[in-house]
Amino acid sequence: MRADKTNLPASIITWVIVILMVFPLIWMLLTSIKPQSELFVFPIKLLPEHVTFEHYQRLLEDTPFLSYFWNSVVLSVATTVVVMVVATLGGYSLARFKYRGRETIAIAVLCTYLMPSVVLIIPLYLMMVKLGLENTLTSLVISYTTFALPYALWLLRSFMAGIPEDLEAAALVDGASRLGAFMDVILPQALPGIISTALFTFILAWNEYLYALVMVNTDETRPLTTGVMNMLVSSFNIEWSLLMAASVMMSVPLLFFFAFLQRYLTSGFGAGGVKG
Amino acid sequence: MATVSLPGMGIRSLESTYSRLGVLLIAPAVLLLIATIVYPLLYALWLSLNAVYTPTQQSTFVGLANYRDMLGSPTFWFSLWVTIVWTTSTLVLQILCGVGMALLLNEKIMFRSAARSLVLFPYFVSTVVAVLVWRWLFNDLYGLLNQVLLELHIVDAPVNWLGQMPNAMISIVLVGTWKYFPFVVIAVLARLQTIPLSLYEAARMDGAGPFGRFFDVTLPQLREVLGVVILLRIIWDFKEFDLLYLMTGGGPVNQTRSVPLLVYQQAFGLNQMGTASTSAVGMMVAMGVLMAAYLYRSQRTRSQDASR
Amino acid sequence: MAAVSFKNVRKVFGDVVSIPSLDLDIRDGEFVCLLGPSGCGKTTTLRMLAGLEQPTSGAIHIGGEEVHELPPAKRDIAMVFQSYALYPHLTVAENIVYPLKKRGIPKREWPAMLTHIAQLLQLEPLLARKPKQLSGGQQQRVALGRALIRKPKVFLLDEPLSNLDAKLRAHMRAELIELHQRIGTTTVYVTHDQLEAMTMSTRIAVMNGGVLQQFGTPDEIYYRPANQFVAGFIGTPAMSLVNGDLQRDDNGFAVRAGGLSLRLPHAALQTDANREVAIGLRPEDIMLGRGTHSARIKVVEPTGHESIVLMDCGGATLCTRIASDVPLAAELRAGQDVPFDVTLARVHVFSRKTGLRQNRDDKNVTSIKRTRDAA
Repeated sequence: MRADKTNLPASIITWVIVILMVFPLIWMLLTSIKPQSELFVFPIKLLPEHVTFEHYQRLLEDTPFLSYFWNSVVLSVATTVVVMVVATLGGYSLARFKYRGRETIAIAVLCTYLMPSVVLIIPLYLMMVKLGLENTLTSLVISYTTFALPYALWLLRSFMAGIPEDLEAAALVDGASRLGAFMDVILPQALPGIISTALFTFILAWNEYLYALVMVNTDETRPLTTGVMNMLVSSFNIEWSLLMAASVMMSVPLLFFFAFLQRYLTSGFGAGGVKG
Repeated sequence: MATVSLPGMGIRSLESTYSRLGVLLIAPAVLLLIATIVYPLLYALWLSLNAVYTPTQQSTFVGLANYRDMLGSPTFWFSLWVTIVWTTSTLVLQILCGVGMALLLNEKIMFRSAARSLVLFPYFVSTVVAVLVWRWLFNDLYGLLNQVLLELHIVDAPVNWLGQMPNAMISIVLVGTWKYFPFVVIAVLARLQTIPLSLYEAARMDGAGPFGRFFDVTLPQLREVLGVVILLRIIWDFKEFDLLYLMTGGGPVNQTRSVPLLVYQQAFGLNQMGTASTSAVGMMVAMGVLMAAYLYRSQRTRSQDASR
Repeated sequence: MAAVSFKNVRKVFGDVVSIPSLDLDIRDGEFVCLLGPSGCGKTTTLRMLAGLEQPTSGAIHIGGEEVHELPPAKRDIAMVFQSYALYPHLTVAENIVYPLKKRGIPKREWPAMLTHIAQLLQLEPLLARKPKQLSGGQQQRVALGRALIRKPKVFLLDEPLSNLDAKLRAHMRAELIELHQRIGTTTVYVTHDQLEAMTMSTRIAVMNGGVLQQFGTPDEIYYRPANQFVAGFIGTPAMSLVNGDLQRDDNGFAVRAGGLSLRLPHAALQTDANREVAIGLRPEDIMLGRGTHSARIKVVEPTGHESIVLMDCGGATLCTRIASDVPLAAELRAGQDVPFDVTLARVHVFSRKTGLRQNRDDKNVTSIKRTRDAA
């Protein structure tokens, strides 16, 4: 908490804990590159004797995995785009405009943030059936907005509220219309916040299970989450190597975000996650 | 654009133009939320007053019969109990581990930013991945956990982690803690970093040791953040479906069936959507107090931040 | 270039009446300061002129045209903000030409206009930089450039110098005066610093609590303050104000305030002058060393070439100055009794009930010295 030199005991303890924490994921990776034969030996060896990618190959060639992956991509991107457009405009409205009912809407958004999905899945399922959208990716995109939109709205509202008012005022005086000021000043300044929120939304959509479980039940439209679990359930003996390979591949976007966009993830956390 | 305005008129035309623009911008969000949350919520309330057979959606109005059944059924109350046990256990662990980790990460650690990033992994990983990995670790014959325990002679026979109580609950609580405590870490760490060093220096000069400093300086400063975090985590853990469903499916023998799982099973296993909706409403009432508390807090801090 | 007028402008925020009723006429080409303490309504007034706030009722005209319903973009004004409000993601050059972009001025004309402004404000070496790479003074010049490039009808400035250190402030003050002399645009300048107002304005509008106290030239404000507030607000060190009472008799007025006893001729005050008064004396109108009055020294504050002396005269605290090279200055001690004289012609008499000044003035007023000591 104060010293400028490295705190060695704390470093050691911390890293031991961090490694223990991350170990399950490392184990996941190791399992996925071990040949099956090495999985069921006693005593267990940590590191593989032979590294193999056969499980990945089987995953991609012999299972519907790629179709699940593609569905997840389409689904997450579509959800993110819809949510981001609506939430950016909405966040701007909540942060910068005065109108009757604004505070009520803000409270209502907070409420929806806390809503349990379990309550909503049944009516939403019935609604989708009525609309003829059952078992489509569209039904998922619509459903996902129930939890993605309030969160994104809240995050973006707080990011935009943090932009100095004078900047917008200056643009207005310089000759911009309200929307012109939005494009020229607010958007560029809110860009880090927008990227954060987009990443969060994408991850939320990518990881969602319950809605996918209820709304979709054919392989063509299943996303990764339910697809992979389906693979687990539908086989007689559980093929752990395959499942671990699937897990690794499912985590690819996450790894990508962490590698290159990590600071956006942590900053988004602070702005919306706790301040509410 | 000039409009004739009488003296004393409330809103001038430019202000009202801006107001209208504001309403227009929030309209899509509001409409979407009404369609996907408000309407379904009301629909769920309506459903709870009916008996609905899932495959055909044939429904018969039964009034409050579902509620009477629910309140009288040990199934519902037991699942509520399970939910409370699960929520409380994982919450306590999440907070303890979260605060502890945050304190550590606040020190000058080697490769500190790498540590801070890695700590977030469990939170962002999909529940499906987390469950698969842990179920593999918990596997009674080939799972690493049992292997290690056997080799260290802590146990003499493989432990059945998921098929036996209380192991099943313990496993779920463990995985839940693993997955969600990074949220606590990040929130608490952010707050720790804003505590002025001068407070600690003053405490040192007054003779406080490390424990004294923690209890007298750190903890009071964390009160506000912890309040929000605890509230949020209770709400989110209470309604958690994915983790419990995928780890144990509610077993063994429904011993880990929390209310969200009950709702799902009633709707799609027993094909009773009406009953399921009733259970869902029951859950919301149970959570209602917590939700109200959170909203109240939020409004207070928002009005403290000076309204514009 | 244009005249500006506020007619019966009222501004209410929720339940709070910020400005009850403002009437103000600014002539074409004037440099007018809106001066007053925090919360007096000067910034609100400026923002209403800019279009960033709307009056609850009343009319605002620029160049004879009604503007209170128009958005800022349509008012042909330019503004410099206290925080400069430079666009952080644009370079200096892009910041300056932004108004041209928004007004649809053809791109081919931009380089010439930009060069002209850059030369005027010495910004040429900075054009490719981003605002965060500039010092406070440089940012301010960029903000000025952005405002000047369009040649607006009215130039609005909201405490633009308050974020600068004292030395830079003095320098920028001079630059702004010079700019106004060269370009001559009607300028409305908000400040709480009376020194800025006195040195830069053609006329000053003193405001307090949302109400215009006085609108006049620096001379008028200084030598003929309309009320007690203006008198006490302008001038450093502040005017000494002493409560007292006034008696009218056949030979004139007898004033008693604290330990002071003065006589003023009938012509000096209004005939219906109130009995309960407050007397105002500026430091330069109290001369130490000889005279009919006496006071006890409380504090002597040497400031270099002069000292500020606070003294007690029968319970009233008076403030005056004395040059350091005067022999008397070396002898002054706290607790000492010292005689002093007062320039009767410059004694201000305020009604305690209304705060208004009761003096009757003739047209001969000594001009303000343009060189002032740093406050």
